[in-house]
Amino acid sequence: MDTPISGSVYVAPSLSTALDALHEGGSAAAPFAGGTWIMRAPIRHEQLKSRYVAIGKIPELHTIKVDADAVEIGAAVTHAALATALAELGEFDVLTAAAGHSANPAIRTMATIGGNLATTAFAAADCVPALLCLDAEVEIASRDDRERTSLEQFLTMRSTLAPGRLLHRIIVPRRDRKTVHARLPLRRAGDYPTAIVSLAMILDDAGLVETARIAVGSVEPVARRWGRLETALIGHPLNAAKAAEAAAELADEFAGRDAADVPGWYRVRVLPGLVRRAVAALGS
Amino acid sequence: MGLSMTINGDHLTSTADPVTPLVDVLREDFHLTGAKPVCREGFCGACMVLIDGNPTPSCLIPAALAQGCDIRTVEGLAANGRLNPIQAALEACDAVQCGMCFPGMVVSLTHLLTTRPEATRDDIRAALTGNICRCTGYERIIEAALLALATP
Repeated sequence: MDTPISGSVYVAPSLSTALDALHEGGSAAAPFAGGTWIMRAPIRHEQLKSRYVAIGKIPELHTIKVDADAVEIGAAVTHAALATALAELGEFDVLTAAAGHSANPAIRTMATIGGNLATTAFAAADCVPALLCLDAEVEIASRDDRERTSLEQFLTMRSTLAPGRLLHRIIVPRRDRKTVHARLPLRRAGDYPTAIVSLAMILDDAGLVETARIAVGSVEPVARRWGRLETALIGHPLNAAKAAEAAAELADEFAGRDAADVPGWYRVRVLPGLVRRAVAALGS
Repeated sequence: MGLSMTINGDHLTSTADPVTPLVDVLREDFHLTGAKPVCREGFCGACMVLIDGNPTPSCLIPAALAQGCDIRTVEGLAANGRLNPIQAALEACDAVQCGMCFPGMVVSLTHLLTTRPEATRDDIRAALTGNICRCTGYERIIEAALLALATP
């Protein structure tokens, strides 16, 4: 292996060399994908790691594989590439919108899906709720093994992942569902969303909600499913006004995070409106 | 060991730390001060450069990862001292104000004109979502882009 002994950025040519370098670097090393979060560490008054393993040149991490049963997305696929690749697959509208409307065009060509999921402190990540509502799983690679787990589980363990481990790919099951991504940035373009509601619905032959997946992002520090609202919608026809009413009744379960852009209460307050928009966009 | 880069066709070497943001290397080592380090968060676009043809905020890319790439700054967009079509249109439309955002605007719009000659007003607005003009001079900038697109 040609991993350099010193130097703060190692450009890994393959997954195996990246995993070796991360393993050898231990807690002093970290993967570097798009860099759009890491490079802002000084603004957050955080120390940079002494060693980064750049994974952006690894071909395997840039692949998007579309099969009949699932879509597999390499961790270094950029938001722009993901939005382009999924544009014709209606069941992934939620993810196409999340990846295709986050940040701004230049950032979308840099920021990766893996970085979006693995960045613990980034509460406003668009792709996290989108993938939660799609029942996504992730594969974590280390030098010695591969571990597959649900995205929900990954979100609870990502901050304590042992050194040497790397989010390798995302696996999204394919289903005949209707999906939509509703986000509220302060300005239409460029800003982080104040709140995000991602929906995935399967309707039965009578047009009633058979399964519902609703994920909320940017409101709390970590995105999560809104189980009580999902339950409230099952068995009913899609109806934007009624869905918003149900959301308003249940929204007090969220503890909005305060930040410089908006206070926590505001993030919670806008949730029913976003639910209304999302359900309406599904054709209610 | 230095970092080797190709900037505006020139092969240059820097001794900067590998994680140094490219914008700082451009300005401090190579005295290419067109790119401005304003927000350092990828929001404002004042540090935009073309890397392998793609608009990239140079505040977010470490110098080490710019090695081996074709880097083009605003200083390299006027070939043989002749303004490129968007630069000429921006001048013709009197769109330049304080100048802080302008190198980034020129870079983003140069890419747009090159890659999307059929771009509409909405396309131009979308392409500029990562370029903030603190003078709010967007309308003249958009008019200039439309003029450049319409000029054979």
